[in-house]
Parts: sequence; C-alpha cells; structure tokens
Amino acid sequence: MSGWTVEIEGVEKRFGRTRALAGVTFNAEAGITGLLGPNGAGKTTLLRMLATVLAPDAGSIRALGRDPSKPEDRLAIRRRLGYMPQEPGFHRNFTAFEFVDYVAILKEMVDRRPRHDEVRRVLDLVDLGPMAGKKIKALSGGMRRRVALAQALLGEPDLLVLDETTAGLDPQQRLRFREVVSDLAEHRTVILSTHQTEDVAALCRRVIVMDEGVTLFDGTPRELSEVARGRVWLADRRAPEARLSWLTGEGRHRNIGDAPDGAELVEPMVEDGYLLLVGHRAVEEVAA
Amino acid sequence: MSIRWHVDADTVAGYAEGRLDEARAYSLEAHLLGCSDCRALAAGAVRTDAIDGEQLDRMWAGIVDTVDAPRPGLVERALVRLGVRQHVARLLAATPSLRLSWLAAETATLAFAVLAAYGSRGHVPSGSGRLSDLLFLAVVPLLPLGGVAVSYGPGIDPTYEIGLASPMRSFRLLLIRAAAVLAASTVLAGVASLALPGLDWTAAAWLLPSLGLTISSLALATVAPPLWASGAVAFAWIAALTATAATVGDDYAAFRGPTQLAFLIVIGLAAVAVAGRRETFEQRSDG
Repeated sequence: MSGWTVEIEGVEKRFGRTRALAGVTFNAEAGITGLLGPNGAGKTTLLRMLATVLAPDAGSIRALGRDPSKPEDRLAIRRRLGYMPQEPGFHRNFTAFEFVDYVAILKEMVDRRPRHDEVRRVLDLVDLGPMAGKKIKALSGGMRRRVALAQALLGEPDLLVLDETTAGLDPQQRLRFREVVSDLAEHRTVILSTHQTEDVAALCRRVIVMDEGVTLFDGTPRELSEVARGRVWLADRRAPEARLSWLTGEGRHRNIGDAPDGAELVEPMVEDGYLLLVGHRAVEEVAA
Repeated sequence: MSIRWHVDADTVAGYAEGRLDEARAYSLEAHLLGCSDCRALAAGAVRTDAIDGEQLDRMWAGIVDTVDAPRPGLVERALVRLGVRQHVARLLAATPSLRLSWLAAETATLAFAVLAAYGSRGHVPSGSGRLSDLLFLAVVPLLPLGGVAVSYGPGIDPTYEIGLASPMRSFRLLLIRAAAVLAASTVLAGVASLALPGLDWTAAAWLLPSLGLTISSLALATVAPPLWASGAVAFAWIAALTATAATVGDDYAAFRGPTQLAFLIVIGLAAVAVAGRRETFEQRSDG
C-alpha cells in the first residue's frame, strides 16, 4: 500500500474560457507540502478540489484513500478534513467564539460542553483565547485570518488544506503559525499554498511550483534552490546576461540567469529557484 | 413569578447522578433557578461523599462553560425559548433572512400591501374578484421565495465554502434554514392576512402558492445558481398572474380551486425533484 494521503492525477478544470488547471499530477504524504506559484497559477482551484468543494472536469483525486466524487467517500473525507479558504467569509455579527462554534456544529460536534472545550482549544492555539468574546467585525484582518485558521484546526483533522494562510499575518504571527502547523504535521498531511518562499523553506517537506495550471516543479525545498545553483551571482550593477536582477539592501545587484565567467556566485535560496522557474510573472508579484 | 409545579424525585436523582440528557438537564436547571423547594430537593439528592475528583472536574467545567461562553444573540435566544435546540439555533442565527433587519423589511412590505388593500377598497371590482387584496396575494408568495433565496448558497452565505467542506450535509442545512424562513414568513403573512379588509377565503389563498414557488425555486437551484433560480420563479409568477388575469378575465384565477390544486401538484413534483437531485447541493462544479 502506498503512503500517499493525497493522489492527484491529470486534473483539469475550466471556468468558461479560462483554463485554471491543465492536467496537474502530484502525490503527497504525511508532512507539509507547499504549493507555490503566482496569482492565477491554479493553486486555489486545486486546493478547493482537495477540500472536496469543487469537482474536476477531468482527472482523478484521492484524499485519505477515498474518492471525493463518491458521496459516501466525500463525507468520510470531510469528517477528517480542515479547510481554510483563501478568502474566508465570516458572519460578522458573531463573536470569534460563536463563529468557530458555528463551524464546530457544521463539523457534527453537537454536544455543547465538549464542543465549547474544543472551540476554546483551537482559539488558544492561534492565541485568540482572550479575544474569543470580540465580534468578528471588531477584529483586525490578521486576527480574522487566525479565526479562520482556528476553525480549520477543529477536531484535529488528518488532512489540513490551507490556502494563503500567512497572508496578512505579522512576522510574530507567522512564526506562531509555523509552530502550530509543524506540530500538527508530525502525523498529518498539510497542503498549503503560499506566496512566501520563506514559509516553504521553513516548513515544507515538499514543494510544488505551479504556473498557468500546470506543475513546473515537484521536489524538496533544497532541490528547488538547487535549480538555481551556479545561476545566482552578485555584481555591482545589473548584469545584461541576467534574466532577473534587483538591487539588494547591501547596495549590490543579485542577478539570476546564466552567469558569466568569473561571476561572484552565491548560495542559491528557494526564492531563486522559484524565480528562475516562473520568471517575470513572479518578479512582478514580488515587486507588487 | 410563582412556580406552580415541582420536579419529581426521580428526575432530581437522575440529574444529581448525571443521568439526564442535555435538554432535560437544562430544563431542570432553568426551573431550579426559580424554585427554592426543588433546589432543596436537588441539594438533598447530591451525595457529596460520593463525588469523586472526576465528577468535580466535570461540574467545574460545566460552570466555567456556562460563565465563559458568550451570551447568544437575540435571534438565537428567541429560537431557544421557542424550543429549538441550541446547536440548531446557532445554525439559524447565521441565516441572513432570519436577521431582524430582514424580518423588519418583510413586515414593512406586508404592512404596505395591507394598507394598499385598504386604499383600493372603493375601486370598481375587476372581473369576478376584488382588487383590494390582489396585490397582497401577489406579493406574499414572493417573501418566502426571496427569504429562502438569501438563506444559503454561494455569494449569499459568507461561510458557504467552509460549510461545503464540512461533514454536515449542505442539503440538510438548506432545508433547516428554508423551513425556518418559511415558518417565519408564514406567521408574518398569516398575521397580516387577519388585518385585510373583508376577511374571507382569499386571506389564506397565498399559502400554497408560497410553498409552490419556494420549492420550485429549490428544484430549479439544482440546475442553476440559486439567485437565478429564485429570480426566474418570481418572474414566472408575476408573468403567470398577469397572463391569467388577461386571458381568463378573472384577477383571482391564480388563487381559485383549480390553480390551488395545480400548486399542490407542483409542490409534489418539485419536492421529488429536489430530493432526487439533492447531491447537487453537496459540491460545486462551477466557480
């Protein structure tokens, strides 16, 4: 039996004339797998499928050994799933506690006292215990994202699907997020999408780079940085050979591309490999 | 307030031993707050020498939970008082069309329709019916239709995607909310009907059309976006009323016996269609 908890084979999806996914294939096992890619790469579409929200046009998906196209399997997956959408909506008149409690009810936690204990546990995990009684509409954007993360953690799910979880979080909150997710991922499968290559380098066992609905890379973060080995160098000015180049805070240009002879090569990072793969689309996004 | 009844000893003993289910325990606790006799009975039933650490922890957790949990909102508290279970009340409290603002708007619409009926009393009758309450009859079925349309679905419920990915069936959530919206609209419309000038059979002639339109929109929502489905049904209703009045020459034709029978058939067919296609509510195929 394979150790894969997520198996995606040739998945395609169109929205009208827009091709969102064009035959994506990858597997994931316990641990954290990161999806990296610019806007419009298809990450969110893929995660919505993994969360059993959206059906593919073609291809197959298996999660936790089950097929989400079958109603009984879909229900079984949902019982072991935690999902944080890219743009989580809230009933803004609810307090943080009431909102998470509401989702706990959707997750079939009917008995009030154990449910309330679980709500307090997940709010504490994201450091929102003291804010539990605050109305959602009175919370900051970062706090709301933590509320959304808290609801995904209800019931200690075996598969956690997190879409742009760290967007809008301050550095301290991101570190806390890494702690929480890495603890969870010891025995579970976490699939997350992010724009932050630092998150991928810090957290992920595997990384999938996507662009325009296809997979460009599938490997470890180290292997992604190795893509750029020998192709990253520092120079006093923008090198004409560089595919990408920017002025660093130290006043020198970091160039990526086919390095000229004698270039001052530097150790590549995950970000360099990513930029080499997705090129100017990612640079524009980083600049934005 | 005087308490006219008392809890029997078996129930109190069951409570003290933790054997009562959640609903009965809450009911008993509510009674104990206002009844000193039963409090004394309950105090006697609790064998403090038999309480172990685990029981104490459980009791303490219960106290913490009661004190610590935020007080539910007005709608949720009202629903619990009406006998709705606490977790169902929370699901309903998140229904946009059960918010006070929506119910107030619905009440205002009904009030205008009733006022319009009074305003047109002196008009010459058209066809074989009176015009005075025709507007009321035409409008009332649209209220639950609109209420159900904005009770659940993509673009309506902000937590729709989170709900869809949860094990609770979306179809069940939709039915719970639709039933609550229908009940609220029916009560409001029923009260408004009593205020119509000249109470007769027409005061209740909106009931089957209301059910028919609402269930038809749910059936249509299995093949089209919910808001589109409700819009199409509302348009069809207005068009049918206008066409019937023009062709039959009876403004009330859409509310008389044969049409009511037709609505019964529509309700049955639409219910079968909704039940048969309920899986379409469980996963999206579009954006």
